[in-house]
Amino acid sequence: MTSHPFVAMNNIGKSFNGVPVLKNVNLEVEKGEIHALLGENGAGKSTLMNILGGVHQPDSGQIFVKGEEVAMTSPHVSQAQGISFIHQELNMVGDLRVYENMFLGSEIRNRIGILNVEEMCRQTHKILAELGVTINPKEYVRNLATSYKQLIEISKALLHKSQLIIMDEPTTSLAEHEVSRLFELMRNLKKSGVSIIYISHKLKEIQEVCDRYTVLRDGQLVKTDVMQNENLEVITKLMVGKSISQERYVHEHSFGDLALEVEGLSSTGLFKGINFTVQKGQIVGFTGLAGDGRTELFESLFGYRKKYAGTVKVKGKVVKINHPRKALKAGLGYVPKDRKENAIIKDLSVIHNMSLSSMGNFERMGFIQDKKEQQKFNDYKKLLNIKVHNPRITIDKLSGGNQQKVIIAKWLEAETDILIFDNPTQGIDVGAKQEIYQQILALAKLGKAIIILSSEAPEVMRICHNIHVMYHGEITARFTGDEANEEEIMHYATGAKKEGEKIG
Amino acid sequence: MANIDAKEYSPESSSMKSRLSWLWSEYSVIIAFVIIYIAASAMNPRFLDLNNQLNILMQVSIIGIIALGMTVVMLSGGIDLSVGSVLALAGVVSVLALNASGSILIGVFTALLVGAFAGFLNGLMVAKGRIASFIATLGMMAGARSIALYIAEGGSVSGEVSGFTAIANSDFWIFDFPVIIFFAMAVLIYVLMHKTRFGRYVYALGSNEKAAMLSAIRVDRIKIGVYTLIGTLVGVAAVIETSRLNSISSSSSGAQYELDAIAAVIIGGTRMTGGRGKIIGTIFGILILGILNNMMNLMNVSPHLQGFVKGLIIIIAVVFQKRE
Repeated sequence: MTSHPFVAMNNIGKSFNGVPVLKNVNLEVEKGEIHALLGENGAGKSTLMNILGGVHQPDSGQIFVKGEEVAMTSPHVSQAQGISFIHQELNMVGDLRVYENMFLGSEIRNRIGILNVEEMCRQTHKILAELGVTINPKEYVRNLATSYKQLIEISKALLHKSQLIIMDEPTTSLAEHEVSRLFELMRNLKKSGVSIIYISHKLKEIQEVCDRYTVLRDGQLVKTDVMQNENLEVITKLMVGKSISQERYVHEHSFGDLALEVEGLSSTGLFKGINFTVQKGQIVGFTGLAGDGRTELFESLFGYRKKYAGTVKVKGKVVKINHPRKALKAGLGYVPKDRKENAIIKDLSVIHNMSLSSMGNFERMGFIQDKKEQQKFNDYKKLLNIKVHNPRITIDKLSGGNQQKVIIAKWLEAETDILIFDNPTQGIDVGAKQEIYQQILALAKLGKAIIILSSEAPEVMRICHNIHVMYHGEITARFTGDEANEEEIMHYATGAKKEGEKIG
Repeated sequence: MANIDAKEYSPESSSMKSRLSWLWSEYSVIIAFVIIYIAASAMNPRFLDLNNQLNILMQVSIIGIIALGMTVVMLSGGIDLSVGSVLALAGVVSVLALNASGSILIGVFTALLVGAFAGFLNGLMVAKGRIASFIATLGMMAGARSIALYIAEGGSVSGEVSGFTAIANSDFWIFDFPVIIFFAMAVLIYVLMHKTRFGRYVYALGSNEKAAMLSAIRVDRIKIGVYTLIGTLVGVAAVIETSRLNSISSSSSGAQYELDAIAAVIIGGTRMTGGRGKIIGTIFGILILGILNNMMNLMNVSPHLQGFVKGLIIIIAVVFQKRE
């Protein structure tokens, strides 16, 4: 080919605070190509894309758009070159309407500056229809589900006639049918000559939709190649630098007494008729798609939500849990999803985050004993392999995996016997994921009853003894870990199949 | 992998620059205090006079006691606008109790009780009623002042028990009693915030309320405790205020105290949204305000212009803190 690629990034280097994040990275994206950018968290994907998007300036290297060198000095320059960046965190204004968000900053006005609402609505409607969604352009964005917000972000990129769209993990909040719709759309875009850089951890998706891939590891280019016929395991190996087994971790072993019995738990509009039990040493998984009500179910069980009916028995005794404090007293611990919002207290030190739920263990005559806290933390640091030099720094300075371990330590210190993990490996890179799994298994071996909520079926399949699939607030199927397969779980999770109760 | 590790796990060793910025963010208010102190001594030799210095301490003690409570409220993510009005109400009611009973002890306890009860009501509104603290305490500010005016029929009430004035007008060694009470309260609140679980919970709640609740903290009770605490401290301040002149005005006592207290907390580096800040910072914040007032008086700056200077200092303080 004599023609230039749409975008070429040559020998890009970048350091933050003297730490090199990118080293001589090359990336070429052809016109009308879907290019997967792969790598663990911290491999440098985001930095590379932020350089392309004009957010960061490279220390070395050049960027060419259609063969001409461009200095991406600001996001505006990048946008003017036809590059749109759809961030993982959506940039939507909830209190504005759909069309107002779509045209934010580029409103259509008539000669005297009055907004042409009808025209903006018409164009919004047209683009959304192309994506196969019908949303009233005058609807407020705050009333929409996350997946729709995602689609509106994409529509916005289309509206601006972007020639290259960078999508950073766009499918995390999408249901399966929405994902397939997105892929359909991506293929259509490709046909019309738009290029896409696609960042995702879900390798299966990538294989389905991408033409070529580039793998980064530790800020260096590992490989760029054509996607077709490539083995997923090979790619995973390239990403982590070693092979990660996809085998099941758990093997059957005998469980202890019943730890938790839940009967007929219901909450209007959230979930209904939930029955399940967990034994000591058992790992029970709950999976389903976004909006299946599993998070709400366990937030209720933990007493964060108060309006629910049904019986909960802990170790055979009926308990009434209407506040997390009561849950803790009953022996429940909860490692919530969205760690930053729900789990860590970012202004408190690592040690103080660990001791937060069990202050009584560190007090003498009402005063906190710093030394005791420090000693206890050192124990957990060894036990859970928490990597931190100085535990007096605030917890937000730690990597996601280490933060998660501190939260686990918090519930261990509170001496809870039943541990609920919601999305335990969210935002944690592949290597640290394995470690979290090992820790959870070790806890089960110690006789803790474990509940894991995850939207990723393979995750629950690998570490759970029993799996419950939820759809629209109901348990639609139950599997044992070894008989479950991803396809069947998906059938029940999407509501395609629904058997009353596959009681087992 | 080594590079990534270094970046994630040891930010404290990353560079000299971050160390300096840490020093600044932790101690900026003390540095500012030293600069202002030196500037004040250079500008007016009378400033360094021991009596003048003690006078400054005496003048800041009432607002200082309130500012300690305000620090706790603001660390929890709230604000209390009602302190000035509650001070007037507590003062008026306590003088009536004092005169009726003839007992100083009963007078003092009444002030503490009225303050604590008003604070408790604020706490209930914020924690159980889920009313924004700004609004709940704005309501209390109007309500408490109104009741004080009603009880005192719009005027002042004076104590009729001899010995009551001794509380604010005695001294021990070189320090006036109010200054000693201020320091004692400061030590108490410092210990409360840094050595007990209550303090830890307040920081946690101010930083991330949902995470605090999901950590099995009884967030509602802590909030009620926080507002009751500041109410009680306002009661202490009311006793001093009343005892100083043996009378309290239902219309003017405590007016704008909330602004001075909030200013001291902000200058002291506490974050408006909660979760971050220090009692020590507030103490230096109140001292900075006291020195500025004193300087302006010594230099015969028009009292009408003093508010302007105060406003300027608050804004400069916040601008510098934003730099972090």
